[in-house]
Amino acid sequence: MKPTIVTDRLPVPAKGIALRQGELGIPAFPRRADFPLTFRDRLDNIPDVVETEINWPEALRVTENSAAVSALRRILLDGLRIALRERTDVNEAQLEDFTHEALLRILERLDQFAGRSRFTTWAHSIAVNTAFTELRRKRWQDVSLDALAAEGQQLSEPAVLPDDALGSDEERTRLVGLLRKAVAEKLSAKQRTAIVCMLQEMPIDQIVGLLGTNRNSAYKLLHDARCALKEYLTAEGISPEVIRTAFAP
Amino acid sequence: MKRLTPQQIEGLIRVIGQTREHEFNCAECQSNVSEFAERQIAGLPLEGTLAGVEQHLTVCSECREEFLALEKILRAS
Repeated sequence: MKPTIVTDRLPVPAKGIALRQGELGIPAFPRRADFPLTFRDRLDNIPDVVETEINWPEALRVTENSAAVSALRRILLDGLRIALRERTDVNEAQLEDFTHEALLRILERLDQFAGRSRFTTWAHSIAVNTAFTELRRKRWQDVSLDALAAEGQQLSEPAVLPDDALGSDEERTRLVGLLRKAVAEKLSAKQRTAIVCMLQEMPIDQIVGLLGTNRNSAYKLLHDARCALKEYLTAEGISPEVIRTAFAP
Repeated sequence: MKRLTPQQIEGLIRVIGQTREHEFNCAECQSNVSEFAERQIAGLPLEGTLAGVEQHLTVCSECREEFLALEKILRAS
């Protein structure tokens, strides 16, 4: 069961930052001459103050400060709505779940915020990573390692990687032929499987699960495979510059 | 296994070409991507560590996908 983040308490300023704007030189809430600010006014305006002025890590460390958590939650949810608005497979309930999960991760990692960007940008990057990781996991959850390993073994077959795959141009034909040879001669079975995963745009986290390794090892496996292929092609006279620019987007 | 599409082959060759001996991994990219995104949007130079982020984004489709999503959020706000 997920821990619950309490967000429905009255806002409490973090060490006085959120509400003591005057002392801190923060502009006052909008004034209405004839009507004093109601509690509702104050509540509505707090997130704006919090977003622009608060020391987020400090505010979020105060466990009673549900106003800061609420404000950040709102910011992250709005961000994910924007980031995923073109995805037809994501509904509002999922967005809420991603936001909740991201908030927990952010609260756990407050010490890792180094201040090299705005806090909210850092937090958005974690929320985006949380959401995409989960969406990818669902997409790939039924794939088997055996099937991928079998495909990896076929990767260097002419039927899968034929010379004319990129047309009949002599240079391209040679390049594809060399690539097939490099896959056959320079990659281990595990590396070929990893390349198949990459070709299918399988996420690293999924490869990690399938290969029973960790994320850094999976990335290194792929990196070593790419290096081996590049080294082979270079040794065959295909310059890195040609490889880099031949299919530039 | 089905015959690879030209897009898959071109993508593989492109990634091979962009491979460096020393690269950021995904965790290192994630640690720096917020600064990278802000500076890129502001048109500021991307040097040192941030050049490593830029290179990682050319070889890692997942981090690139997440960076584009982050960029979308920042541009909308």
